[in-house]
This record gives sequence, structure tokens and C-alpha cells, in this order.
Amino acid sequence: MSDKLTITNNIRKLRFFANEMTQLELAEKTGASRSTIIAVEAGKYTPSLDLAFRIAAAFGVPIGEVFESKAE
Amino acid sequence: MTLKSKRNITSMAAGVATAVGYIIYALSNAAPNSDDLKAWAIVMLVSIGIAVGIQIVTQIAFHIAASVGIAVKEGKKDCKTFERGTVERIIKSELKEDERDKRITLKASHIGYSCVGIGFMAGLIALACGAIALTALHIFLGACFLAAFVDGVMSVFLYEKGNRGEECK
Repeated sequence: MSDKLTITNNIRKLRFFANEMTQLELAEKTGASRSTIIAVEAGKYTPSLDLAFRIAAAFGVPIGEVFESKAE
Repeated sequence: MTLKSKRNITSMAAGVATAVGYIIYALSNAAPNSDDLKAWAIVMLVSIGIAVGIQIVTQIAFHIAASVGIAVKEGKKDCKTFERGTVERIIKSELKEDERDKRITLKASHIGYSCVGIGFMAGLIALACGAIALTALHIFLGACFLAAFVDGVMSVFLYEKGNRGEECK
């Protein structure tokens, strides 16, 4: 039986290091809505692989630096 | 609360107002006789038309109110760096339909369709039990109103509570 995966993200930290990029700017760069970015950052929404890659590309880092998962 | 949740609540409030208006008319003396199905069909069609009109007007009013609200909020937050196009950018970004909206709409409409299905069954059962055709028609119409309302409630719930997706478990 598979364990439950908990997905966390470092978007807040990455936005800080990207010259305090706003959620609006990140939303515009990824093509998602600002409310989706807010939900992803708060861990309320798990994005699709497509959006996850676009978020990583917006910061210029590999996807593994944005999202982390651990089995419970 | 997100702008999409507020938009859904506004839409639900408009729907409830329309339903209440219809119920008041249906219970008044001005309503057609219960055996005049043609007249009732016209009343229902007109009510649906009015409901669509009210929804359009409500959404326009909502967009204006939201723009003013965001302008005031952003202006208070940082009036020195506040740019003229910021409000348009925020509104455009907040109301943009993306993958999360599609997922939430899918879940919410699934429950809405269930309501319509249950209402249809209830109407048929009422007819089978000897109720008049007008009762069945009203059960169908009520189920449609209820479905729209439940759809809205579910959407707001998913927007606020979060929608992490079952595939992660």
C-alpha cells in the first residue's frame, strides 16, 4: 500500500531571493492566476507537472528546488 | 477570501434573489392556474431570462466594485509606487481561468449535476405518486436552482479550503 505524499514548496523563499518577486509577477510569468499562485504557495493546491515546471522556470532553478515531497 | 470566491457568492446571492422573486410570484394571486401548463412554461422561461439578465448586471457591478476595492487597498498599501495599470493587472490575473479553476469547476459541477439528477427523479416519483404536472415541473426547476446554488457553495468551499488533488495520496 502506498504512503501518503506530503508536497511542500519553497516558493516564498525563492521569491525573496528573486528580488522579492511579487505573487502577481510570478502569476504573469507562469500564465496562472494570482489566486492559484497564492494557493500553491500556501500548500492548498498541488499544481500540475506543467505548472510546476513553469514555476521552476520562472525562478531559473530545477523543479526539485521548488517542490519537495516526503512520504508519511 | 479570493476574488473568485467573492464572485461566486455574488452570483449565488443573485440566484437566490431570483428564486425568491419567482416563489413570491408563484404563490401570489397573479400566478396562472395550476392546470394551465402553457402559461406556467412562459412564466418559467421569462424567469430564466430575468435570472440571466440579473446575473449579467450583477457581474458587471461586481467587477466595478472589485476594481474600486483593489484600487483603494493597493493605494493604501503603497501609494508611492502604486501604478495606474496595477488594478487592471490584478483583476486580470485574479480572474484568469487556469488549471485550478478547471479542476474546481469539474468537482463543483459534478455535485450540481447530481442535484439535477435527484431533482429529476424526485419529479418523476411525484408524478408516479399522483402529483399534478405543475408540481413535477416545479421540482425540476427547483432542482436546477438548487444545483446552481450547490455548485457555487462547493466552488467557494474548494477555493477557500484548498484543492490538493487526490492523486497525491
